Amino acid sequence: MMAALLEVRDLRIAFRVDKRTTFEAVKGISFTVPQDATVALVGESGSGKSVSSLAIMGLLPKGTTSIDPAGSVLFDGRDVLHLPEAERRALCGRDIAMIFQEPMSSLNPVFTVGYQIGEVLRRHMGMNRREARARTLALLDEVGIPDPQAKIDAYPSQMSGGQQQRVMIAMALACEPKLLIADEPTTALDVTIQKQIMALLAALRRKRRMSVLFITHDLGLVGEIADEVIVMRHGEIRETGPVRRIFSEPQDNYTRALLHCRPPLDARPWRLPVIADYMGGQVEANPRQRERGYAPDDDIVLDVRNLKKSFWVNDGLFGKREFQAVKDVSFRLARGKTLGVVGESGSGKSTMGLTLLRLHEATAGSALFEGTDLLALSKRDYHPYKRRIQIIFQNPYASLNPRFTVGQILLEPMRLHGIGADDRERVALAQALLERVGLPPVAYHRYPHEFSGGQRQRIAIARCLTMKPEILVCDESVSALDVSVQAQVLNLLQELQDEYGLSYIFISHDLAVVKYISDQVMVMNKGEVVEIGDADELYRNPRHPYTRTLLGAIPRSPDVNVESRC
Amino acid sequence: MPAFILRRLWQMLPTMLGVVLLVFLLFNWVGGDPAYILAGKMSSPEAIANIRRQLGVDEPYYVQLGIFLKQIVTFDFGQSWATGEPVGQVIATRLGPSLTVLVPMTVLETLIGVALALAVAFVRGSLTDRAVMVACTVGMSVSILVYIIVFQYGLAYRLGLFPVQGWGDNFADNLLRYAPLPILIGLAVSIAPTLRLYRSFVLDEVNQDYVRTARAKGLPERRVLWVHVLRNAAIPIITHVMANLPALLIGAFLLERFFGIPGIGREVILAVERSDFPVIKAVTVYVAAATMVFNLLADLLYQAVDPRVQLS
Amino acid sequence: MSAIVNEHDSAGLWTLAWRRLREDRIAMAALAVVAAFLVMLILSATGLVAADWEDEVGVNYAPPTFVGASAATLAAAGEAAPVPDNPFDPLAADIRALQGQGAATAAPRRATLPFGADKWGHDILRKTIRGGETSIIVGLVAALVAVGLGTLFGAISGFFGGIVDDLFNWFYSVFTSIPSILMILTVAAVLQQKGVLTIVLILGLTGWTGPYRLIRAEYMRHKAREYVLAADAIGASSWRKMFAHIFPNVSHVALVQLSILAVGFIKAEVILSFLGFGVPVGVVSWGSMLNEAQNELLLGKWWQLTAAAVAMAVLVTAFSLLADALRDALDPKVK
Repeated sequence: MMAALLEVRDLRIAFRVDKRTTFEAVKGISFTVPQDATVALVGESGSGKSVSSLAIMGLLPKGTTSIDPAGSVLFDGRDVLHLPEAERRALCGRDIAMIFQEPMSSLNPVFTVGYQIGEVLRRHMGMNRREARARTLALLDEVGIPDPQAKIDAYPSQMSGGQQQRVMIAMALACEPKLLIADEPTTALDVTIQKQIMALLAALRRKRRMSVLFITHDLGLVGEIADEVIVMRHGEIRETGPVRRIFSEPQDNYTRALLHCRPPLDARPWRLPVIADYMGGQVEANPRQRERGYAPDDDIVLDVRNLKKSFWVNDGLFGKREFQAVKDVSFRLARGKTLGVVGESGSGKSTMGLTLLRLHEATAGSALFEGTDLLALSKRDYHPYKRRIQIIFQNPYASLNPRFTVGQILLEPMRLHGIGADDRERVALAQALLERVGLPPVAYHRYPHEFSGGQRQRIAIARCLTMKPEILVCDESVSALDVSVQAQVLNLLQELQDEYGLSYIFISHDLAVVKYISDQVMVMNKGEVVEIGDADELYRNPRHPYTRTLLGAIPRSPDVNVESRC
Repeated sequence: MPAFILRRLWQMLPTMLGVVLLVFLLFNWVGGDPAYILAGKMSSPEAIANIRRQLGVDEPYYVQLGIFLKQIVTFDFGQSWATGEPVGQVIATRLGPSLTVLVPMTVLETLIGVALALAVAFVRGSLTDRAVMVACTVGMSVSILVYIIVFQYGLAYRLGLFPVQGWGDNFADNLLRYAPLPILIGLAVSIAPTLRLYRSFVLDEVNQDYVRTARAKGLPERRVLWVHVLRNAAIPIITHVMANLPALLIGAFLLERFFGIPGIGREVILAVERSDFPVIKAVTVYVAAATMVFNLLADLLYQAVDPRVQLS
Repeated sequence: MSAIVNEHDSAGLWTLAWRRLREDRIAMAALAVVAAFLVMLILSATGLVAADWEDEVGVNYAPPTFVGASAATLAAAGEAAPVPDNPFDPLAADIRALQGQGAATAAPRRATLPFGADKWGHDILRKTIRGGETSIIVGLVAALVAVGLGTLFGAISGFFGGIVDDLFNWFYSVFTSIPSILMILTVAAVLQQKGVLTIVLILGLTGWTGPYRLIRAEYMRHKAREYVLAADAIGASSWRKMFAHIFPNVSHVALVQLSILAVGFIKAEVILSFLGFGVPVGVVSWGSMLNEAQNELLLGKWWQLTAAAVAMAVLVTAFSLLADALRDALDPKVK
């Protein structure tokens, strides 16, 4: 029975928001991180998981934070919270190290990679420049950076996101720490890169016999690497336990909800369970499954052929270089069905969606809707079609005008397209729609900033519904939402499709969500369509190597891969 | 890189032409007939017509524009209407005194501004920070005229620490005897706005993620500010200093006037008072050209100092 | 999960900003000072106060009341020592007759005034108030012109891009290549005519570049934002997007610019009037007061300098603090 490396006791953190209000972020949590183990700290936004880790490192802003002195954080026997500044700084970076979510902004842009890694070596290990450089080269090699000799003098902006994260890891490991705190290290990375980084972390941990505190919002991600899991919600710990037990027999309702709100890869319930179901204990044991796929007699509502979109960039003195964002995309969308479009960043999927709505002007290709090529119409001729094909954007915080009330947001499209005989009728329609998407009637007079992310997406959906569109493009519409909220919005979208026969083009990088909601799936890579086919079939038997890599990168639950855990 | 410079120089041409056009419009069209100004109040029509012919203002506008362009290209703006001194010489001789005051002032102002900005950033949010900011605001509210009048009266006239006015013949004399008081006043006036601006640059950096990483590495706060933050904040600071240099040439005109320093700024004031068009035109065109060149240099410096920016 | 609150409890940007501003005590004090100056301005402009600033009510260089009269001024205020008769003066009789007339109507000049008198015996206090009216009006109106032009150009330029943007950018580079003070002096030299309107136009027509750059950048940023794309998808026209959608998100920037420019222009007007390129002779402004004060200081008369300097410093400080607080209230960032 090894002694705990890190022991957190009764940690209580509050923030002062303004002169009168304080916000309790962490409400007295206690947990331990044993030696030579990986502990996952899982929670949605606002759970307090990041705040706890920042408190351990002493990185919370001093002016507005108050940490209850009754709590303690024991690292190797010493109480880190009550150490004098200088001693704590000696500990951080050497025995405890941390890596963050956004590697691009977490690295200093004006210093070379080698300088930044060397800095910890010179400061904590007392190395001189030559020794530090040699050690840095070894570290870069260890984390898998190709050609360390060249990269050591490179600047962060000259590297990809995955490489930057590797550099962060190298910097954290430089002084052989006993504990590595990783705060959402893969959230900002593509799913294939995510897999590589996770494997790297696991391998390094094993080799150096250090402990890792892995913080994430994605419970599904930790199945492969964690020994123990701690689930947090609203500043409190809901459940702790060994990873296999958490996944197979979760005790707490919230943990169960987190596990099951994610769209499963192997089933397709008629409706996704939401947190409220679990907290209230009303869960269906064997939910009805939904069948998906295009039927041969389906009515084709949109027929896209050879869509192409290029951007021109300044090149040299007078020339311009062509950047092809969308190369040659063709697909058919059946009425009342969903086409899922999946790909990593840079695949061109979002550009394609925007081009279909003529928010970008297409370079070539056609989009046939009821026999008319939407892309060939003049701006004026296209105007009446605008109400029939609509879009919901990714960022719920940017897609609603902050200066308009919800009522104004909903009335505008109706006024522009002459829906409803007069304003009174329009207001009534707007109120009805608000109710339909699950918002209270008082929302009509409110401003967007008073709503949460999920609620704003509902307002955006209501805005689209005012025009009764036939096709809805969902551009990463649920990607910015927490898992539980995501489930609610997906359910809403599905209900609307069932009720109104809407056709969706669902763009996302999240493979599980796409499989759940789509009838057909189109895989894109670097602007091209790599594979397109029936959703279930494609996930079961991917044909193209890229599709196989993509699907292989989906994190599995612990039962599947026993060997790769350390 | 050469392609970048060429393209920028190419882009400067329309701007330069625009400046030339603007100056021409102002002076040759709006400015009215200079012949009357030159001839004086009591002159005969022949004298006026004579002057007109000499100046070329009886020609159609496009010819006048041509003359103006030729003047710019050959650096020959004729002679000052007030003193008869060749304009080129006027500018050349006045540049030295202006720089003798400006260069030390700029250097000192930048160094002190940066040091103070970092010091204030160290205690940001505290009462000291707020007090310093309010003091800056108050300092900026007092007109530069008041500073000059009071300092000149107090330190020079009453206490005799500096000469009240004047300029000497040799460089050392100018720099050490006549320049200090103007430099001191210039510093007093410019410290407050400079400090505010640099403080905002520094604070923009202090809230960035990489500062959190530097602290996580266990670096002391002093190093975080003076090495990590300063290096990043230096970018906007440098570009700010570079881009403002040409404006400074004219900006010191009040100091030059009060202290009798024969610099470019004072020359401009005199020229405006005396309606000495050639001098004003020449100075305007040259300063505009200098501003564009300095902007280009600032951009190049920016590229050199910030690795994120790619030359395109 | 949000609590059900009163229907109209919802606060938009301006209400929220006002609430934040109210919390800041310094800002409220600054607002009070600025308001006081504006009230003084209105009183002065309507002639209710200081309309008679040109009356020579004091003796030349009368010191302020709180300092006390000096011997020389007392003597001057009192009965003038009679001039000994000159038997050879052919006009003596006529002068005596005129003096008789004048004495009946001339009011006695005072030995001291609340804040002293200038060279001609004008009341400094009234001059300061009147001067303030000139300087503040010039500053505010010029700022309005500059921000108005800059916002309009910036909006069009930032929103439409392309050749329109190139054209406005060309204008912008031409104007900013010439340092503003040089620009102002050049236009002053060329116009040859003085007046409040002239200064306002000069300052306004040269000062639009700052707001232009900021508003243009804001428009370019917002144009790419999703709520504008959404408006486009709905079918809003360009003008609607520019004014109904983007402008309310950008207007606070224009307002802050207005206050910053007003401060700068008040200071600029003072300098211009000091140099003699500002207000014409009959009009008083703080700048013209400082001009006179320069020579008076050598004679030891400090009151005009102090009055103008202090009044200006107080107003500009208050205005600047207000502008800062306004910017923070409208766009709060973590400090």
